[in-house]
Amino acid sequence: MTALVWLHEDALRHDHPVYTAAGEDVISCFFWDEDYLQKMDYGFKRLVFIYETLCELPVTIIHDSTVEGLIRLAENQSCETIYIPATPNPLLQEIIVELEHRLLVVIVEDTPFVSLTKDLDMKRFFRYWNKAKKLAMQPSDS
Amino acid sequence: MIELEKIFTNRKLLVKHVSEISPWLQDSNASSITGGISQAERQLQDIDPIEYCRTRNFLNGKVTKLSPYIRHGMLTLDRVRNEALSLCKDPQQIEKFIQELAWRDYWQRIYQRHPTHIWDDIESYKTGFQADEYEDELSADIATANTGVACIDQFIETLLRTGYMHNHTRMYVAAYIVHWRRIKWQAGAKWFLHHLIDGDPASNNFSWQWVASTFSNKPYIFNLDNVRKYAHAEINTNSSENAVLDASYEILTLNLFPNKGTEQ
Repeated sequence: MTALVWLHEDALRHDHPVYTAAGEDVISCFFWDEDYLQKMDYGFKRLVFIYETLCELPVTIIHDSTVEGLIRLAENQSCETIYIPATPNPLLQEIIVELEHRLLVVIVEDTPFVSLTKDLDMKRFFRYWNKAKKLAMQPSDS
Repeated sequence: MIELEKIFTNRKLLVKHVSEISPWLQDSNASSITGGISQAERQLQDIDPIEYCRTRNFLNGKVTKLSPYIRHGMLTLDRVRNEALSLCKDPQQIEKFIQELAWRDYWQRIYQRHPTHIWDDIESYKTGFQADEYEDELSADIATANTGVACIDQFIETLLRTGYMHNHTRMYVAAYIVHWRRIKWQAGAKWFLHHLIDGDPASNNFSWQWVASTFSNKPYIFNLDNVRKYAHAEINTNSSENAVLDASYEILTLNLFPNKGTEQ
């Protein structure tokens, strides 16, 4: 069955682990969502940068509201599951919550810089660095 | 649902197209910084992490300019670190380079823990002032590079023209806005996020808070001698045109934070 991948501005590349998770039969899309872009208040230079990047990616750029557009696309293509790169962006997370009401959503984390416990003391950088340094200073297997 | 065009015969046509689909924006000038995975790969092949460690604080130092590509997920920190390590014999040679990648990882982890608190003060200001003693809005002279402080105006003009600033000039401008002009870090951070192509809520906002002292133990300030040390010949560092910056750290601390010695 065809899977749907929604690429957003935090994950603009074609070898993101979201594609491995989604499998080979995949429709990949980015939404030029005017409401979202205006809320983010990005300047024109950034929009050109993002658009130039999208032009090089195997992704369809759709001019529409993200939530409504994705639901419509999923229905049209008979996709039950949508794969989305993980993001901390609250506006994108709001969109994801809305999608979860209508579709099966799978969030896929990117390759980490270092793997550390979630409860790490983050009050100051050097507390983090003291824990991360050993791993950070050596190449990963990826 | 409209599928947008992806093939353009030249960049000018692409920029025109983006302008047409972004009618809410007045600006229609693109940056010389170009997007695209192929450009990200070229930038990655051009890094010199050893030279970066030696010169990164200088405004014409060998910085990587990978930030727009990392910001938008086109390059992972993992990939950049692995590439950098492949270019040196001893990882210790490039510890500062890897530490700068780690700063971004650190900011992202905090953002992931508390995504909706990205605009909140993490701690109180350590400047002798309360948060409500800072202005809420950025002044028009700052937004238009007309502060009358020559080097600051040059740094801002670069931001407006290119959508990019060297990290050291980001710190100078942020400190000027928060400490010399006593404007809330949030106003400056919002303005940076609008203009910077690599603007990231975590790296940007937490760095502003580091300068402001709401996420550090003391406020970050600089003086004209510091700018002279790191600037290149094109930056105007004349005393008369940068008078408010031209003092010792002791004098600046007394002038900028007069209540600091009396705070509880």
